[in-house]
Amino acid sequence: MNRVRNTKLVLWLITGLAAAVVLNRLIFGLGITTNLDDATPWGIWIGFKLGLVALAAGGFVVTAIYYIIKREEFHPLVKPAVLIGFLGYISFVSSLIFDLGLPWNIWHMIIYWNPRSPLFEVGWCVMIYTTVLLLEFSPVPLEKYSRYAKARNFLMKYRFILVLLGIMLSTLHQSSLGTLFMIMPFRLYPLWYSHILPVQFFISAIAMGITMVAFAELTVSWLYRRRPQSNLIEKLLSLASWVLVLYFIVKMADIIYSGSFGIIFNGKWESNLFIFEVLTSIIIPAILFLIPQLRKKKLVQWLGPLILVNGIALNRINVAGLAMSDSTGNSYTPMWTEVVLSLGIVSTAALVFLFIIENFHVWDGLLTKTEKNFTNSYPHLYTLNGWKGIPDNLNIRFHSLAFILSFAAGMFLMSGNHLHSGGVDNIKVRRATGIDTLIINGNRDDQFVIFPHQAHIERLGKDKCNLCHHFKLPDYKLNNCSDCHTSMYKPVDFFNHDWHTSVKGGNLKCNECHKAGETRSIQSAKSCDACHQNYKFALGEKATSKYFIPSYTDAMHRMCLTCHEKEQRKPQVKVLNNKRDLLNCSTCHSIQFPNNRKENLNKELNVNVQHFNNVILPK
Amino acid sequence: MSKGILSDTTKCTGCLKCVSACKETNKLEDDVPRIWQKNDGLSADNWTSVIQKPDNHYVRKQCRHCLEPACVSVCPVGALQKTLSGAVIYDSKKCMGCRYCMMACPFGIPRYEWDKTVPYMQKCILCYDKIKKGGQPACTNACPNGATIFGDRNELLKIAHKRIKDNPAKYINKVWGEHEAGGTSVLYISDIDLGFLSYKTNIGNKPLPEKTAPAMESVPFTFVGMGGVMLGLNWIIKRRMDLSKEKNKKIRKIDE
Repeated sequence: MNRVRNTKLVLWLITGLAAAVVLNRLIFGLGITTNLDDATPWGIWIGFKLGLVALAAGGFVVTAIYYIIKREEFHPLVKPAVLIGFLGYISFVSSLIFDLGLPWNIWHMIIYWNPRSPLFEVGWCVMIYTTVLLLEFSPVPLEKYSRYAKARNFLMKYRFILVLLGIMLSTLHQSSLGTLFMIMPFRLYPLWYSHILPVQFFISAIAMGITMVAFAELTVSWLYRRRPQSNLIEKLLSLASWVLVLYFIVKMADIIYSGSFGIIFNGKWESNLFIFEVLTSIIIPAILFLIPQLRKKKLVQWLGPLILVNGIALNRINVAGLAMSDSTGNSYTPMWTEVVLSLGIVSTAALVFLFIIENFHVWDGLLTKTEKNFTNSYPHLYTLNGWKGIPDNLNIRFHSLAFILSFAAGMFLMSGNHLHSGGVDNIKVRRATGIDTLIINGNRDDQFVIFPHQAHIERLGKDKCNLCHHFKLPDYKLNNCSDCHTSMYKPVDFFNHDWHTSVKGGNLKCNECHKAGETRSIQSAKSCDACHQNYKFALGEKATSKYFIPSYTDAMHRMCLTCHEKEQRKPQVKVLNNKRDLLNCSTCHSIQFPNNRKENLNKELNVNVQHFNNVILPK
Repeated sequence: MSKGILSDTTKCTGCLKCVSACKETNKLEDDVPRIWQKNDGLSADNWTSVIQKPDNHYVRKQCRHCLEPACVSVCPVGALQKTLSGAVIYDSKKCMGCRYCMMACPFGIPRYEWDKTVPYMQKCILCYDKIKKGGQPACTNACPNGATIFGDRNELLKIAHKRIKDNPAKYINKVWGEHEAGGTSVLYISDIDLGFLSYKTNIGNKPLPEKTAPAMESVPFTFVGMGGVMLGLNWIIKRRMDLSKEKNKKIRKIDE
């Protein structure tokens, strides 16, 4: 049994995956590494971050219990609680780096002020409170070094002030995180929108913080095989249950007061989500923790906090975006990268947490690595230093390998095609329908361009096909634009390598196109017109070594507009300027099919153009 | 002198000249539909768009330049400002990319450069450089039909009401933007319902910043109040503990 080693292995694996996501996010931008979009600019990351802050609330609650209310029995949990708080805030701030578009400007909040913004207030509180937490916690590491004794004594002397400041700041920003969402009643589902969102956030954060401290005590005891302080865990859970009862009353009273009680049971997706959230974040944990016989049980002490932490995290995620799809009309499902990055931040924080408790005196009864009698007093804790007698440095190698492998897996999972797409969907172009008059379906709903093909042939002359159709293939008359310009908005590579090496395509050998002795790349290959002398490009371009052809839209615009511009300059067209402006986009792009699509499809096949409104066809 | 724009959907023919004028003036790139765009035509490279509605109705969408903008009130670094001329302008140098403005806008106007490694928010700024010098925005200048006109907001309101009064059968008796969300600088009159321009058809007439104002105003009181409560609590508990200690001492003395 190597609980510590295996737990760390899992944490390192998640961290490795997340590191790969972070790298891609910083290089390729937010758009393609997340599922965020213009209608859902905040996603699961924000919800997760709000959850982190709530989770870190244990820091101020336990210090309040110990220093303000003077419950001395909670002394063993003060240092752990402050550590959890500190790491919670550090991971909150560091996760901002991946969520902000311009993270290097995060310090702007210090010099550019907007006191009306809740986010400004949250930012300042978090900045100060993280410093306060650092000062509150630093006596623990300073204890190790005697030369910092003065600084440590100074901090210990003014601890009460720090604690008081911490409580005041926490109250502010824990609630202000709720204020963030008060400005968007048009976004939030009525079950979550409330005029007392700040109060709800504050109360639920207290419950989550307390439970998290109890859970940490339990987990650390399990990991390092020490006896958990069950009496303290029970006390904390019982306290949390009363906070939950208060939270429930406040929440329900608010919903009844605002008159949205009726929609809880209307069967909508959001309403069901709300019921699930209330069950997991309030009712189930509250019942489990309220009954003394139940909260004594190990299973309840394990499961209850897990349910509660997930429930309240779900509440934050709901408020931050999940419960908005009804009003924005935009469905948002987080991409796997978003989930992995969120988990990765927690994993990294957990690794730092384990490192600190192994090296500094945070937990009572847990000796640190450097202590002389460490291995003698706790032989079963040897797992901490090594695994099956293998020295510590091998353990480090083992974990590094896990990290590197999962980082590689993460890089592999990021689809290169997707990353390089620039967020442009690959829309396949379909063949235009119609014979004499082509109906070019731009693949945007009900947007068609009518192209009078026959009229163009008559005007240009029957042998001028190559003005538009590039290739003089045997059946060039049937050549369709979409045969080569296959993607609507993306430039594509039109050279078909497989075809040329196939029997039908000439069964060419490598050396017939690539120069011998050189790397077989596009650069070393022959150009198209070396073999296909008759290939002509419409706009006078020669088939060069560039095999990229423009997207369908670009090609059509370039093709049509050059000719239109030329025609527009002719005197007889200018006379008709009022009637049809050849250079106006709407001359071609203003056809809209009436709503009834089925009927239209028939008409599309009959090519009866008369019914299209707003189009003036050339005579 | 708060300026504004009045768009009359009955006059718009959907020629998109405002869109191309906007692109030209603000040097925006060609628009390519991306996976993160909404279907209203707005994007980081399209600050205004024309939405086609059934039966030849064209509605121009752009930033509404609210009188009390939610985006300005929420921006933590004050990168967005409401100017005296009416325009809500954006200072990209201050921005840190939190996207709170996008969340807070009831009209869903601000767009993001999701594809960029250094992304900025993008939206209509009412051609601030031009109106500052007494000119008018590129879009109203380009409109061939007078469907979208620029002017003093109060005068535009008068024009709007006059048009409705002169032709009550044609228009719906409402000026969109007169009261919504505390009023906007960009106004609309129309013969079809324009509720689709905001997220919820009824966003109310109160300015959105008022929703957070009470909570924000109570911040100092909460801060000091919490400190006071905690100190008071601490004092009471200390006192009670001291008293009980003394009591114990007395009892011990008596025992002795």
